[in-house]
Amino acid sequence: MENLINVIEAILLHGVGKTLEITAVALIFGVILGLLACLGKMSRHFIPKAIATVYIEIIRGTPTLVQALFFYLGVNSLLVAASGGQIRMTPLFAGMFVCSVNSGAYVAEIFRAGIQSVDKGQMEAARSLGMPQKLAMKEIILPQAIRTILPSLGNEFIVLVKETSILSVIGVVEVTRAGQLVAAINYKTFSTYLGVGIVYFVLTFTLSRLVNLLERRMAVSD
Amino acid sequence: MIEVVNLHKSFGKLEVLKGFNEKIERNEVVCVIGPSGSGKSTFLRCLNLLEEPTEGDVIIDGVKINDPSQDINVTRQKMGMVFQSFNLFPHKTTLENITLAPIKVKGINKEEADKIGRELLERVGLADKAEAYPRALSGGQKQRVAIARALAMQPEIMLFDEPTSALDPEMVGEVLEVMRELAHQGMTMVIVTHEMGFAREVANRVLFMDGGYIVEQGTPAEIFDNPQNERTKSFLSKVL
Repeated sequence: MENLINVIEAILLHGVGKTLEITAVALIFGVILGLLACLGKMSRHFIPKAIATVYIEIIRGTPTLVQALFFYLGVNSLLVAASGGQIRMTPLFAGMFVCSVNSGAYVAEIFRAGIQSVDKGQMEAARSLGMPQKLAMKEIILPQAIRTILPSLGNEFIVLVKETSILSVIGVVEVTRAGQLVAAINYKTFSTYLGVGIVYFVLTFTLSRLVNLLERRMAVSD
Repeated sequence: MIEVVNLHKSFGKLEVLKGFNEKIERNEVVCVIGPSGSGKSTFLRCLNLLEEPTEGDVIIDGVKINDPSQDINVTRQKMGMVFQSFNLFPHKTTLENITLAPIKVKGINKEEADKIGRELLERVGLADKAEAYPRALSGGQKQRVAIARALAMQPEIMLFDEPTSALDPEMVGEVLEVMRELAHQGMTMVIVTHEMGFAREVANRVLFMDGGYIVEQGTPAEIFDNPQNERTKSFLSKVL
């Protein structure tokens, strides 16, 4: 027990900060990227639609682990070679980038489902009042879509917290990597990885409660 | 004020409007009747380009609005529309439903818009429902708010797409009352309806549509008491 507390203490001290930092960045950029990709995919024009579709399909069709390795090791090596060793990305930057891009693809599909779930009479009513397409989207469609997608968006955020553990392979000292380092010192694998699991659970459970709270507050104003 | 020339509309292979002309003058109240599937709603929706005509022109106030160089949003501000399924914005209060477009599209300030909104609610008999959300309203109340919402843009034309078809029978009267009032104030109105009694009472002119054409038209007396076309006779014998 005392061991477990020591482990959790060590992880809280050295890993949680990075995990939270990466999650927060990926959450924000994921939503921005996701919204853009969703609008691109729903666009009537060929180019934005093609870009968005390719982006979403490639990200969803390859493992996050491979994306992280490819970007941090693969792309980085090209970058180093091209700049003569001047430019080299840090593991933290690569991790944030991969998680944001990855999350964006899933968020895009969640947004699309939400937008398409709004009755098409809503858009017609808005347009019949003389609202341009974009204004109707912002004022009428998106606020209603957000409500229906909040549960799946919450789910995506929880997945995101857990996915950051993959970044342990590219040397980001987040919760999982911190756990590995602790285990390498104390050889107590059972209590160490139990501690790692507990830390993740506390993070995701807190997040899921927050999303729940948000859902209820939005329901009140309905 | 409204003119359609050789209006065609197809959905895929299905041709719903098969090419006809029609002119509606300022201050006219025109009721469009006919069996379901005859193209009444499609005709109405072509007038503000919710449906893009496949062929032919829609001319409002001398402007060919289905010309891609025209800003349809400007024309739509002059044409209010009321839908069968109300289409109120569920995340906005009654008052916000009414004031949103005047504020965001016309750029009227909020105080002014609220004042107009409350006056309109008063006019449709719902002054006490300003802060209510649509889900707390009955069907008839929702439709009256929808009418007020359309009126808030101070349109010159009002389009009604079966405005009472989704209502419980006891709520039809309150909506028709608001529409009757509008007609008496000289609003130009195009109404797709199954309310024959209302059409007879309020319309200046009745259009009977069937099979994608305007088959017959005339004053309510002409259409209802002395129809000439066989299809008009057959339809009216079923509904009257």
